[in-house]
Amino acid sequence: MEVVSVETALSSGVWKVNLETPGHEHSADRVLLLMAARLRWLAASLAVGFFVVLSSYWYFQIVRSEHYWELAENNRLRVVRLEAARGLIYDRSGRVLVENVPTFRLLIDRSLSTDLDASLAFAADILERDANELEDSLQRYRDVPRDVPVLVAEELELNQVARFEVAGDISEHPEFEIAAARRRLYRYGDQMAHLLGYLSEPTAAEQERDPTLVAGDMIGRSGVEQLRDRELRGTAGERTVVVDSRGRVAASGDVDRTDARAGESVTLTIDLGLQQEAQKLLDGKVGSIVALDPRDGAVRAMVSSPSFDPNGFAGRLNQEDWERIVGAPNKPLQNRAIHNAYPPGSVFKIAMAVAALADGLIDPKEEVYCGGSTRLYDRRWRCWQARGHGRLDLRGALQHSCDIYFYRQGRKMGIERIARYARMLGLGRRTGIEFPAEREGLVPDPEWSLTSRGLPWYPGETISVAIGQGPVLTSPLQIAVMTAAVANGGFLVQPHVLEGGARPPEPTGVDADVITFVTEALANVVADGTGRAASTPIVQVAGKTGTAQVIAQATWTRSEVLPFEHADHAWFTSYAPVEAPELVVVVFLEHGGRGSEAAAPLARRMVETYFGSPAQT
Amino acid sequence: MVLPPRLDPRTLARQVRPISWQLFGSAFGLSVIGLVLISSASAELTTDYVSRQSVWIVAGVLVLVAAALVDYSVLLRHAFWIYLASVAALAAVTFFGHEAGGARSWVGIGGFGGQPSDFCKIATVLLLARRLAGYRSPVPPRGGRWATVAIVAVPVLLIARQPDLGGALVFVPVLAAMAAVTGVSVRSALAAAAVALALGGTLWIFALQDYQKDRVLSYVRPQADPLGSGYQVRQSRIAVGSGQALGKGPGEGTQSNLRFLPTPHTDFVFAVLAEEYGFLGVTLVLVLFLLYLGNGVRVALAARDPAGLLLVVGLLAFIAGHVLYNTAMVVGLLPITGIPLPFLSYGGSFMLFCCAATGLIIGLDLRRFVNV
Repeated sequence: MEVVSVETALSSGVWKVNLETPGHEHSADRVLLLMAARLRWLAASLAVGFFVVLSSYWYFQIVRSEHYWELAENNRLRVVRLEAARGLIYDRSGRVLVENVPTFRLLIDRSLSTDLDASLAFAADILERDANELEDSLQRYRDVPRDVPVLVAEELELNQVARFEVAGDISEHPEFEIAAARRRLYRYGDQMAHLLGYLSEPTAAEQERDPTLVAGDMIGRSGVEQLRDRELRGTAGERTVVVDSRGRVAASGDVDRTDARAGESVTLTIDLGLQQEAQKLLDGKVGSIVALDPRDGAVRAMVSSPSFDPNGFAGRLNQEDWERIVGAPNKPLQNRAIHNAYPPGSVFKIAMAVAALADGLIDPKEEVYCGGSTRLYDRRWRCWQARGHGRLDLRGALQHSCDIYFYRQGRKMGIERIARYARMLGLGRRTGIEFPAEREGLVPDPEWSLTSRGLPWYPGETISVAIGQGPVLTSPLQIAVMTAAVANGGFLVQPHVLEGGARPPEPTGVDADVITFVTEALANVVADGTGRAASTPIVQVAGKTGTAQVIAQATWTRSEVLPFEHADHAWFTSYAPVEAPELVVVVFLEHGGRGSEAAAPLARRMVETYFGSPAQT
Repeated sequence: MVLPPRLDPRTLARQVRPISWQLFGSAFGLSVIGLVLISSASAELTTDYVSRQSVWIVAGVLVLVAAALVDYSVLLRHAFWIYLASVAALAAVTFFGHEAGGARSWVGIGGFGGQPSDFCKIATVLLLARRLAGYRSPVPPRGGRWATVAIVAVPVLLIARQPDLGGALVFVPVLAAMAAVTGVSVRSALAAAAVALALGGTLWIFALQDYQKDRVLSYVRPQADPLGSGYQVRQSRIAVGSGQALGKGPGEGTQSNLRFLPTPHTDFVFAVLAEEYGFLGVTLVLVLFLLYLGNGVRVALAARDPAGLLLVVGLLAFIAGHVLYNTAMVVGLLPITGIPLPFLSYGGSFMLFCCAATGLIIGLDLRRFVNV
């Protein structure tokens, strides 16, 4: 019976040994010894395995623990922005013009979406919108970290909110989140769009300049919203919350919180009733109505037509709607009261009268004969009144808006003198109202002609300027400031829409006697002149009509027979009450026809609204 | 074959020596720790896993005592039929069982579920132990080494088919350990490795689902796709690392409570331990496992016959394989696959397997003095 030693067994391999060793009863102990020896090796390698595992836990829990601690905190904590409520905007009597109303927004946490296309298709189905459109709108947030929820849609209806909530709860689409938010509501829609402005999202460049802005914020783009954007916006707060792996906020309350500070409210000088009346009067027309207090320049109404509804902008306008508004034929975004300038026509005769009387150059009693036309500089000049006015002094010429009188006196005065006094009355320069991009208008003189046109001043142009034609351009607001200067006894006011924004009026330097003369003449215009359509039993009104030709015509043609874009601009500027003026009203109708017929009645309605029964104001 | 005789009830108490108490104590201690972790991990869940696991622990103790009293030589004698029955059950479940978590591996008994693959582990070890010990007999077992490999390959393929990659994988170290203790030549080891590779390749192509492949691949670069398969590795590692030296405290694990951790009460229970009890807790539990395995090895070394020794080695290899793979997987050293941690993870049949294995080992220890 062969006995195999442990050594032999180890070296020769056991399976072979087994077959070669009968007499197993006696070798059983040795086999056990062999196995035990191998088992010890195995146990040792097992210990090594444990050591490796323990070492790796040492590495992660001791060596790299700070790193993973931070990752766990990042997992768990989410900083949620608390948006500040934007300040409200009130009219002069504290009536709310712009407010914030609750709305439901749909947000998406893209990091929780396993398939973004599928997620958007799901959302598009509920929202009844195009998935590609949603995808395009998400492009704005390309640079926003994926785990920061970004806006998909807003103004969700309650049934849509419910469907997203259900999808989130059953983990079908945990990436979607419904957030209650505020939406800007412009209560009076297009009635004061140019004044209030609108909101839109900041561009990437703006976000870079102002780190407090994030994608999805809204900032003021025009009007008061832009003017007081910083104050209205307020300061966003922050809360740090604990979230679970699906992004749900745990019930444990805030880890950290800084409340948002709501934006400041803004009160305007605007009179809501008057503003609404002005908008109503301009309905369907192209033009502008400006009303201001001649004592301090507080703007009571400022309307430009056509208008737009800023509420559409607050709901994040899509590209199509935006292009429709910008590309509309009558430029609804333009505020015609300040952003454009037009030939003033006979309204300019107010400045002419002041220029004529100052320094006593022209005797107001001096009469000029109007036969319907006259010949100056080898050209025939017509009066709007083809049959002529007969003999008129300055008072009569203003009252009946005689062109011949001003042609002749204008030639006598010369362009430099006309320009100087026009400027003293606030024309040809910015009025200083708070809004940016105000047009200067143009009061031409020979120097301007040389520098801007490269041509010497042609004396015949003075004749055109004398009746507010030729190169002279004014904005409706400038006409209001000029009229206010007459109404308040010779002071230039700075128009303003923000309550408390008044600056002390500056003296124009025009003699009080001159002003008194002009005010009397303007009262006559309404009482018994071209401005009769503006007279009202409620209060005595003074004013001046204007009808500005758009293109040179050989004969005076009534506007009604001209194509719209060739029709005259209709002007009417007025103030009331004559004794102690409180309100200046300027009506301007682009291609509106005759000032006396088209514009003056609107001014009357404005005055009646303002001074009428207390309930209306 | 050397057969240990029956236990004498009168001397039984005296025969229970410290090794057995340490085995039982460490197993019981680990189970209690597991219960604490499950209660912490499942605080947010609606199912009461703590009560269920308590029931399983009680059942486990009964199974342990029963297994210790059963004469293992009887089990070895009937190993083939036990194996056949368990493989049949496994096959039945694989093709007709309940589907849970994407795998057909469950049989339901009342409110409790069990996996036949866990019972198959014992049967396979029994048959392997008997067969490998038989290599020492004058009449060598029929079929040669390929039949030995087949004993393992059948349940492995069935389990992989469920598909439960992890459950299949843990059979490999068992065969390796038992073969190594039996003694294999370098040539046989190389051949086995080649077969394993070929089997692995076949599995990869035919049996593995895409998600399983993703898991394996994501293990290589977990950061590449933080929301796909790499997510679990990453979150588990964050749980472990953020636990630091002393842990965040009982029930304070944010990774598990806020559900960043996948399956915190089963496969990732060790991550909960690491997060809430830190490196200290990890060390304590690993020491308890070492104590358990060390005592198991001592029982094996004192075994009276090769089959008994091999039986203990096989059972210990299962336990050790689960422990090493699970703890390495939790910290991201190995790909994530469903391999629970013995005694700690929630799970009925696996708990019963661990207790039965412990009982068998203790039973072997009780019979160490008995001679021919």
